[in-house]
Amino acid sequence: MPLDWLNPYHLQVASFILINVLLGVSIYVTLSTGQLSLGNAGFMSIGAYTSAILTTVHGIPIPAGVILGSGLAGASGVLVGIPALRLRGVYLAIATLGFGEVVRVVFVNWETLTGGAVGIAAIPQMGREILAVLRESGFSPETVGLRSNQFISLAVFLILLAAALLSILFFLRLSSSRAGRAYAAIRMDETAAEAAGIDTTYYKVLAFSQGALLSGFAGALFAHSTSYISPADFTYHRAVEILVFAVFGGSEHLLGPVFGAMFLTTVPEALRFVSEYRYIVYGVLLVLMMIFRPQGVIDPALIDRLTGRGPAGGA
Amino acid sequence: MALLRVEDVGKSFGGLAALDGVSFSVDEGEILGLIGPNGAGKTTLFNLITSIFPPTGGRLIFRGDSIAGLRPHSIVRKGICRTFQNIRLFARMTARENVMVGRHPRSRAGIWGGVLRTGGQRAEEERIREKSDELLALMGLSGCGELPAGKLPYGHQRRLEIARAMAAEPKLLLLDEPAAGMNESETCEIQRLILAIRGLGVTVLLIEHDMSLVMKVCDRLVVLNFGRKIAEGAPEEIRANPEVVEAYLGREEEGEDRDA
Repeated sequence: MPLDWLNPYHLQVASFILINVLLGVSIYVTLSTGQLSLGNAGFMSIGAYTSAILTTVHGIPIPAGVILGSGLAGASGVLVGIPALRLRGVYLAIATLGFGEVVRVVFVNWETLTGGAVGIAAIPQMGREILAVLRESGFSPETVGLRSNQFISLAVFLILLAAALLSILFFLRLSSSRAGRAYAAIRMDETAAEAAGIDTTYYKVLAFSQGALLSGFAGALFAHSTSYISPADFTYHRAVEILVFAVFGGSEHLLGPVFGAMFLTTVPEALRFVSEYRYIVYGVLLVLMMIFRPQGVIDPALIDRLTGRGPAGGA
Repeated sequence: MALLRVEDVGKSFGGLAALDGVSFSVDEGEILGLIGPNGAGKTTLFNLITSIFPPTGGRLIFRGDSIAGLRPHSIVRKGICRTFQNIRLFARMTARENVMVGRHPRSRAGIWGGVLRTGGQRAEEERIREKSDELLALMGLSGCGELPAGKLPYGHQRRLEIARAMAAEPKLLLLDEPAAGMNESETCEIQRLILAIRGLGVTVLLIEHDMSLVMKVCDRLVVLNFGRKIAEGAPEEIRANPEVVEAYLGREEEGEDRDA
C-alpha cells in the first residue's frame, strides 16, 4: 500500500504534541498579562469532562460538546480570574494550583456524574465518528489507500493541527494589536499601564479566561482523541508540565511555549529506548536551561533574528 | 475658569498626614507649578488626582464633576494624564509602541477586530501609528521610534514618557519633575516643550525642583510644605514670600550657622 508509512502510533504522538501545543499557548496567554496561572490543568479537565459527559451520556454531537466544554472552562476562568486579581506572582501560582486540585477532587468524588477515579470510557472519538459518517455516505478509506485505523488517526491529527494553527494565528494577531499592546503593557508595568488609560482589570480577567477557555478546548479535544479520561489525566503533574513548556521554550514570545510543548513531548518518546532514564535526561535538560538560557529557548530577539527584522515586534 | 478644583484634600498614611486640607484650583490653559521641599506631598497630590489611591478627605472636581473614587484609567479617559517622577516606560517595547499604548483610551478595536484585521481596525491602527509618530516628532524623538524604550538615553526617556501621556489627548497634563537629572541644555529643551504643549491647548500642572525652569514657565505657583499649602501666587510674589524662603532655606539663624 502506498501510504503504509502513515503509522497510527506516530500520528498519535503527533496528536499529543498538538494538544500540548494548545496547552502551551493557553499558559502563555495568561502569562502575557503577567499572571502565572497553574490552574490550566483544572480548566482542561473542566473542558474534557463537560464535553465527555454531554456527548457520552446525553448524546449531543462532538462539536457542540467541545464548544460547551470550552465555554464552561472559559466561564470558570472569569470566576477564578476575578479573585485572582488580588494575587501576584507565586501567590497566584499557588492559588491556581490549588484550584486545579479542587476541581480534580470534585471529579474524583462526584461519582454519579464523573465515574469517580475510574473515569469516563467510550467517549465518542473524533476520527471514528468522522469515519462512521463517511462510511454511511458510501466512502471507504481503502479507496484512498488508507486502513481504517490509519484514517482515524490521521483525521484526529488533522483536526488538532487545524485547532493548534488557528489558536497560534489568533494569539499572534492579537499580540500585535491594540489588545495585545495592552497585555504587554500590563505585564511590563501595571501601574504605568493603568496610568496610560488601560482598564487593567478587564484585560487581566480577559487574558485569564482566554487561557482557561483554550485549556478547556484542549481538554475537550483530548477527551475525543483518547476516548477515555480519568482524574489521573489532570493531576498537578499536568499543571507543572504545562508550566515547563513555558519555562523551557520561553515565555516572552508566543512561539516559546509552542516550541517547548513540541520539544518536551517529543523527547520522552524519542528516549523510549532508555525509558528507565528518560526523566533524568528531561530534568538535566531543564537545569541546564535555567543556568544557560533562563529566558527559555525562544525569545523575541531570536524571533527577530530569524525573521530578519530589527529589534522591534510587539509580542 | 477652573479646570481642576482641589478642595480641602487630605491624605494620611497611618498616623502620618502626607497632605492636610490643601485647596487650590488649576485654571484652563495655564501652567501651574507645584513646588515645595522634598516630602512636602507634591507627588502624593498627583497620586490622589490620578486616583492611584483615594484621598482621606476633601473633594477633587474636574470640569465640574467629582473624580473621587474613579479608577486611574477612567481618570485618563476624563482627560487627566501624567508622567512619573521615576520614569515608568515599557522598557522592552519600542519608543513608538510606548506612545501607541498611550493611545489606548482614544481607540477602540477589541479582540475580534485585532484578530480578524477588519477594515476599521486596520484604519485605526494606521491612525494610532500616525498620531504616535507626530508626538515623537513633537518631543524631538523622530529617529527613535524603532528603538527599545529602555535603551534610550535618560533625557529621551523623560520626553518619551511625556509623548505617551500626550497620546491620550489630555485636557490636563501632570508632569512630575520632568527636568530632574537633566543638564542645562536638556532643561531648556523641556522648557520649550512644556510651552509647546500649552500651545496645543493643554493645561499643565508641573512639579519641579529646578527653580529657574519653574520661574520661567509657570503662570502661577502653589507651594506645599509638610502637607500644607503655605503660599500661592505669581512666581515673583512667591520668590519674595518669607515663608517660602524659610521652607526652602530654613530660618535665618540656621542659615547663618550653615554659612559660618
